[in-house]
Amino acid sequence: MLKNLCQKMFGRSLWVYHANSGGCNGCDIEVLTVLTPYYDVERFGIKLVGSPRHADVMLCQGPAMHSTAKALRRAYEAMPSPKLVFAIGSCACGGGIWHDSYSVMGPVEKVVPVNFYIPGCPPRPEAIIYGVAVAVGLVDKKTAPVQFKQLALPIPRYHPGDLRGEGELVVYEKVEKI
Amino acid sequence: MNLLWSILCALANVAIVLLVAPLFQGVLRKVTAVVQSRQGPPVQQPYLDLLKLLGKEDIESGESPVMQRFAAYLSLATVLTVACLVPMGFAAPMNSAGDVILLIYLLTLCGICTLLAGLAAGSTYSLMGISREMMTMIALEPLFAVAIIVGVIHTSSFRLDTVLNGSVYAHGGFPWSGLVMLLVMTLSFQAFVQRVPFDISEAETELMEGPLMEYSGPKLAVFKFAQMAKLVVHSALFVALFAPWGSGLAFPLGWLLFWAKVSALVLFVTLVAATHARFRIDQAIRYFAGLLVLALAALVLAGYGL
Amino acid sequence: MSLLSKLKETLVCLKAGRVTLPYPARSRPVPPNFRGRPIFDAAKCIGCAGCANNCPAHEILVFDVCQEVRILKYLGRRCTYCGRCADVCPEKAITMSLEFETGTDRIGDLQQRLDLFMSTCQRCGRCFKEPSLLEQLQQKGYRFDDLQNERWVFRSQSYLEGEPAADDITIELD
Repeated sequence: MLKNLCQKMFGRSLWVYHANSGGCNGCDIEVLTVLTPYYDVERFGIKLVGSPRHADVMLCQGPAMHSTAKALRRAYEAMPSPKLVFAIGSCACGGGIWHDSYSVMGPVEKVVPVNFYIPGCPPRPEAIIYGVAVAVGLVDKKTAPVQFKQLALPIPRYHPGDLRGEGELVVYEKVEKI
Repeated sequence: MNLLWSILCALANVAIVLLVAPLFQGVLRKVTAVVQSRQGPPVQQPYLDLLKLLGKEDIESGESPVMQRFAAYLSLATVLTVACLVPMGFAAPMNSAGDVILLIYLLTLCGICTLLAGLAAGSTYSLMGISREMMTMIALEPLFAVAIIVGVIHTSSFRLDTVLNGSVYAHGGFPWSGLVMLLVMTLSFQAFVQRVPFDISEAETELMEGPLMEYSGPKLAVFKFAQMAKLVVHSALFVALFAPWGSGLAFPLGWLLFWAKVSALVLFVTLVAATHARFRIDQAIRYFAGLLVLALAALVLAGYGL
Repeated sequence: MSLLSKLKETLVCLKAGRVTLPYPARSRPVPPNFRGRPIFDAAKCIGCAGCANNCPAHEILVFDVCQEVRILKYLGRRCTYCGRCADVCPEKAITMSLEFETGTDRIGDLQQRLDLFMSTCQRCGRCFKEPSLLEQLQQKGYRFDDLQNERWVFRSQSYLEGEPAADDITIELD
């Protein structure tokens, strides 16, 4: 029973560890802005801690580089479970503009398993708070994949061999499927 | 009957400290937020924090896991033992079990637990943190010891209930030594409860939380609880030594007055903590050295009966 | 560091009141030139792949199923919201909307996929021929970006069967 209570309290007091593995620090500044009085995120119980052993959530920022991949993995393994990983910014979600550079390994999910993505370059502080609120369960998600199909295959095609002249009309004999 | 009554009082003291300590911490965070013009966490936030920490996995790492466990439990145990020795609105429940010297040693033991915690971790940040904590302790514990000894000199007894009853103010003449000690303790109270500007050993952004770096889950909850309880217990000691007026009233009134005084002291600590920056370790040592000179002057005055 | 200056500082902060925005409860209006998520309007798109060629993060993939069908896939993972695709589009089919609340737990939620019918001659079934020989040389030809692995394909030899699209460098993590 105590265990249930403790697990329910998880969403109401998240302690956050910020790990920047090679980004440009734009998202760093946005994360810091979230902790300031305007966008105060401490009212949700979120606190910035200095050691991964105290933290519940790792905020990853910047793509995973060849040089920092090991350190990022060790920081992830130092966190006690239950743990979450949030990837903040385009670089952490998919590699960013540097995704095919020589020193970049790729998005952060090549090194640690990511639970939540907050894209943006850099994401607005409101976007970060919205992402955290969706993760905690306060609000609903606002994105869904979009697919538009202008036609369905196979399409019929007119073959010149099937055209027949009948007087002044051009008659089409058969429809061929490709 | 007497033994049973004192055991019940001791348990009541301990239970009250356990329940009320996170509440004071919550008020501290909320007032800090209001001073910084923002909406802070709800007042019950430290209770949620402690519950969440109890539900996390316990990773035992560092150089010696046995000492890690030992340091965590010892810190909470020491603070709660001091809670049994302090009068909180009614007479101290275990004052026949020890005297003032025991109180001074127990308070020093609280500080040593942080050292043990840092040694158990053994990483660079922890060792730096505990070296700073050692320097701070060496400069701080004499101040409190001198305050108690001034009380002992005035009342010529080592018993807890006589000394912890405003004995610092001498009865004949103007209480010089009492006022000097009051000034000294007020100026250094922040350091006893490990808040800004003196939380040098657990500096969050400088040292990655220093000695507590390798703790996770339930042991961290125990340490955080010990820190919160330290605030309450030290405030109670301060009130008992320096502001005991009204403690002789009947049961509900005296008790409520005591907690009102402790709340006022916690509010003062919060306001100072919210508006100041952290000291460097050498600045802090110089500050305490100045206060130590004042304290020794008060001791000399007490020797003369002033 | 006198006590009086600290008291004055406290009073100033208290006079400001509470400045926190009650964010998920009420939102602030967004500035009008804000570049949020790009929205692809498939009714206007002609499938020229100008947006794909201009994207600095190679975020838009192009795949030709056959001569008439072209698939344009916007991934949304590495988009930096620069707006170059919207600038270049000749039909103004891409708008940078004002949406920024795009946190999600599946990254596939951000993709937009358009399967487009490229007009071909209804009699012979081939693409329209460019007017001059010089412009015929500028045709890029068919595109086979890797939709499964969500990667652009650069080498012309990769169009052959059996050649890998790009090499992965392995790193050992101990």
